[in-house]
Amino acid sequence: MRESRLSLRGRLVGVMALVFVGGTVGLYLAAGVYAQTAADRSYDRLLVGSALSIAETLSITGKEVQVDLPYAALDMLSAAPDDRVFYRIIGPEARTITGYDDLPAMPKQEADGDMSALALSRFFDAEYRGEMVRFALLGREIAEPGVSGWIWVQVGQTRRARDELAHELMLRALLPIGPLTVLSIGLVWFGVGRALRPLGRVGQDLALRGPAELHPVASPVPSEIVPLVDAINAFMRRLDANMGTLRAFIAEAAHQMRTPLAALRAQAQLAMDDEPEDLRRSLQAVERNASKLSRLLDQLLADATVIHRSDLRRFESFDLLQMTHKSIRQAVPITGNAEVRFETSFAEAPFTGDELMLREAIKNVIDNAMRHGGAGDGAIDIDLFAEDASYVLRISDRGPGIPLESRERVFERFARGETSAPGAGLGLAIVRQVVESHQGRIALLDREGGGLVVRLQLPRGRQ
Amino acid sequence: MKLHLIAAMMFMLAAHGHAKDYPAEGETQERLTIYSTTDTVVFEAVLKDFQELYPHIALRYEELDATPLYERFMRETSAGETEADLLLSTAMDLQVKLANDGYAASHDSANSRALPRWARWRDEAFGFTFEPAVMVFNRKAMAGRKLPRSRAELLDMLKSATDLWRSRIGTYDISRSSVGYLLASQDARQSSEFGALIEAFADANMQIEENSSTLLDRLESGELAIGYNLLGSYARSRVSAGAQLEIVYPQDHTLVVSRTAVIPKAAPNALHAHRFLEYLLSLRGQEVMATRSGLPAIRPEIDGPDNRMGMADAQVGLLRPISLGPGLLVYLDAQKKRRLLNSWRAIIGPAPTP
Repeated sequence: MRESRLSLRGRLVGVMALVFVGGTVGLYLAAGVYAQTAADRSYDRLLVGSALSIAETLSITGKEVQVDLPYAALDMLSAAPDDRVFYRIIGPEARTITGYDDLPAMPKQEADGDMSALALSRFFDAEYRGEMVRFALLGREIAEPGVSGWIWVQVGQTRRARDELAHELMLRALLPIGPLTVLSIGLVWFGVGRALRPLGRVGQDLALRGPAELHPVASPVPSEIVPLVDAINAFMRRLDANMGTLRAFIAEAAHQMRTPLAALRAQAQLAMDDEPEDLRRSLQAVERNASKLSRLLDQLLADATVIHRSDLRRFESFDLLQMTHKSIRQAVPITGNAEVRFETSFAEAPFTGDELMLREAIKNVIDNAMRHGGAGDGAIDIDLFAEDASYVLRISDRGPGIPLESRERVFERFARGETSAPGAGLGLAIVRQVVESHQGRIALLDREGGGLVVRLQLPRGRQ
Repeated sequence: MKLHLIAAMMFMLAAHGHAKDYPAEGETQERLTIYSTTDTVVFEAVLKDFQELYPHIALRYEELDATPLYERFMRETSAGETEADLLLSTAMDLQVKLANDGYAASHDSANSRALPRWARWRDEAFGFTFEPAVMVFNRKAMAGRKLPRSRAELLDMLKSATDLWRSRIGTYDISRSSVGYLLASQDARQSSEFGALIEAFADANMQIEENSSTLLDRLESGELAIGYNLLGSYARSRVSAGAQLEIVYPQDHTLVVSRTAVIPKAAPNALHAHRFLEYLLSLRGQEVMATRSGLPAIRPEIDGPDNRMGMADAQVGLLRPISLGPGLLVYLDAQKKRRLLNSWRAIIGPAPTP
C-alpha cells in the first residue's frame, strides 16, 4: 500500500528544480541574444570609427582617388587584440582603390534600397579567408570634376573578440543563477522540514497516548494543518461519545441481565422446596423470566447487529412489501392469539436498503405493539402507502400509548415508557437507528380512539 | 624570350639566397625547412643546439631578405607547393600580414604565453628577439665630440656643420630593406622630428644601403661616421669583435624590433616547426640565441645587459617595442607605401652618389 509514498519536500524541490532549469534555459537563450547584440554594438562602433577615419583621408588628385590610410584606423581595431583585420576602398565602377580586392560584397537583400540611405554605415557578416568576418561599409558620394560617384570604405574584423565578449556577457548574466538555484532548493529543503515539524509533534502526541486518552490535540500547529487537527479532534470527540455510549450500554446491559438472572436463581431455589402443586407455578415464573432474558438477549444482539450493519451500509434492492410480510410472520407467534392486519394498495414496493436491518426494526415495532397494545382488542393494524417520495409504514395498536412528554425518551436505549411493562427498552432505539440510517424518520402518534401509531417514513431514493 | 629567361633565372638566384643543410644523425626522413632573414653564421649556433635535442631532424636553413622571403613563400603557397615549415623574419609587418591573411598556423604553449603581449599576435606570430634600433658612430670620426644622445641632438649636430658630415651618414634604403621600411614607418608615426631629420640627412647626402652588414662595414672603415636606425645586435657583435664603434640608444625613444616567427598552415613538416618554435621560445633556446648568436633574448628570465630586461634596467632610453598587430598593416597598404616611398625619394633625391 505504501509503494507511492510521496514526499512533500521531494515534490517541492522537484518543482523548484524544474522551474529553475526552465528559467535557466530561457535566460540562456535571452542572454545569448542580448549579449551578441551588445557585443556587436560595441565592436561595430569601433569598425565604423575605423571606416570613418579612413574616409576622412579620401581625396581626389586629378582622376585618382587617394587614400592615406591612418595608422589609427587599423590600430584602433586591436582593441580586439587577436582579430584579423581587412579593409578595402572601392571607387566608382566598383574598382578597388586599395586594400584587399577580394573582400566579399554586401549581401543583395541588405544592399537593396535607397542608395543615399547607405551614406550611413551598414554592417554584415560574411565568411572570408576561412573565418566569419564582421564588415562595416561606409559610403561617401563624391562629385569632383575628375571623379564622381560613390566611394565605399569597407572595414572588416573577425568575430573572435566580439564572440568572446558575448560569451562573457552571457556567462555573467547566467552566473548568479547557479548559486541562486542551490540556495533556493536548500531553503525549500529546510523550510519544508521546519514547516512540517508541528505535524511530527502532533503525530508524536497521538502515538504516545493511551487507548482511552481521547482529549483534543492541543499543540499549536500552522494554519494550513489546522483543518487536519480539527478533523482529528472532532473524530476523537465522536469516538469518545461512542465509547461513552458503549460503556453505558454494556453497564446497563449487564445490569439488565442481572435482574432476571437473579430472579431466575431465586425462583429455581424456591422451586426446589416447593410442593408439587406449587412447582408448576414456580416453573411458570422461571419460564417467564427466562423468556424475558431471552428477549433481552435478542434485542441486544439485534442492537449490536444494527450498529454494526449501519456502519457497513450494505444496501441492496428488495421488495418492501415482501419484507413487511416476512416481518409480520416472524414477529407474530404461531401459537399466540394476537391479531395483525396488514393493508396496502401496492402489489410491489421496490426499495433500496438493508433488508435485514429493516426487518429487524419492523419486527421490533410489531413486537412492542403486541406487548403494549395487548390491553385493548389486541388487534394491530399495519398499513403501507406512499407519501410524496417516501413509503410510509404505520403500525397502530390499541394500547395505552405513550405520553407526549416521554415520547423522545423512549428512543434512548434502556428507557421505557412504563417501567412496569416488560422489555429492555432497546426496541425503539434500534428502530430509530435503522430508519435514520435509511435517511428516514420515525414518529410516535396518538391513535384515534386510543392507542399508539408508530409511523416510519422511508424515502424511496433513487429507484 | 631569352632576356626573360635570364631575368627569371637571376630572380630565382636572388630569391633563393643561400641555403645550408644540417643533416640529421643516421638515416632519417625527418626534415625541417626554415626561411629566415637572419644570417646563417649568426643563427648556426641555435640550429646546432636544436639538433642536440632532436638529432634525427635534418635542417635546411634558407637565408633570404625579408621581402623576397615573403614573396617566395606566397608564390610557393599559392602554387600549392609550400616548402617552408617556419618563417623567421625581421619584417614584422609582413609576418603580421601572413597571419592576418590566414596563412599562419596557431601555436599555443606555456612558452608562447610567457612572451609579452605585444610580441605575439593571435597565437600565430611570435616575436622572439628584442633588438633596439640604434645610432652607431665611428669612434675615430667622433673623437673629441660629444655623442648625440637623441634625435634632436643629432639634428642639431648635423645642422651646425652640414659640410662636415656630408656623405658620412648612412641608413637603410627603405625602398629595398624591409626592416628599414618598418623602422622608418614607425619613426614617421612616432617621432615629430623624423621629417626634419631625413631632410637634414638628405642635405648631407645620406648614404643608403640595403643591409646592415654593408652599412657596418662602411662605418667600421671610417667611410661613414654616423649610422642611423641600425639593428643594435649586429652593431654589438662588431663591437665585440673589436670594431671601434659606439652604440647609442636614442633617449627620446628607441624603437625595438622583434624577429618574428610564423608557422605556415601549409607547412609540410608542421610538427617539427612547432618543436623548433617551442625550442626557440624556451629558456634554453633563448639563452643559446642570446649568448652564442648575439641576438638579444625577449624572455625576461634571460639576464644580461644586452637582453630585454637588462636593457630596461640600464634605462638606456625610452624603449618602444613595435607591437605585433593589425596596425602594422597600414604601412603595407599599397597607396600608403607608395606615398611614403615617394616622399622618401623626393627628399633624398634621385639616386645616391657614392
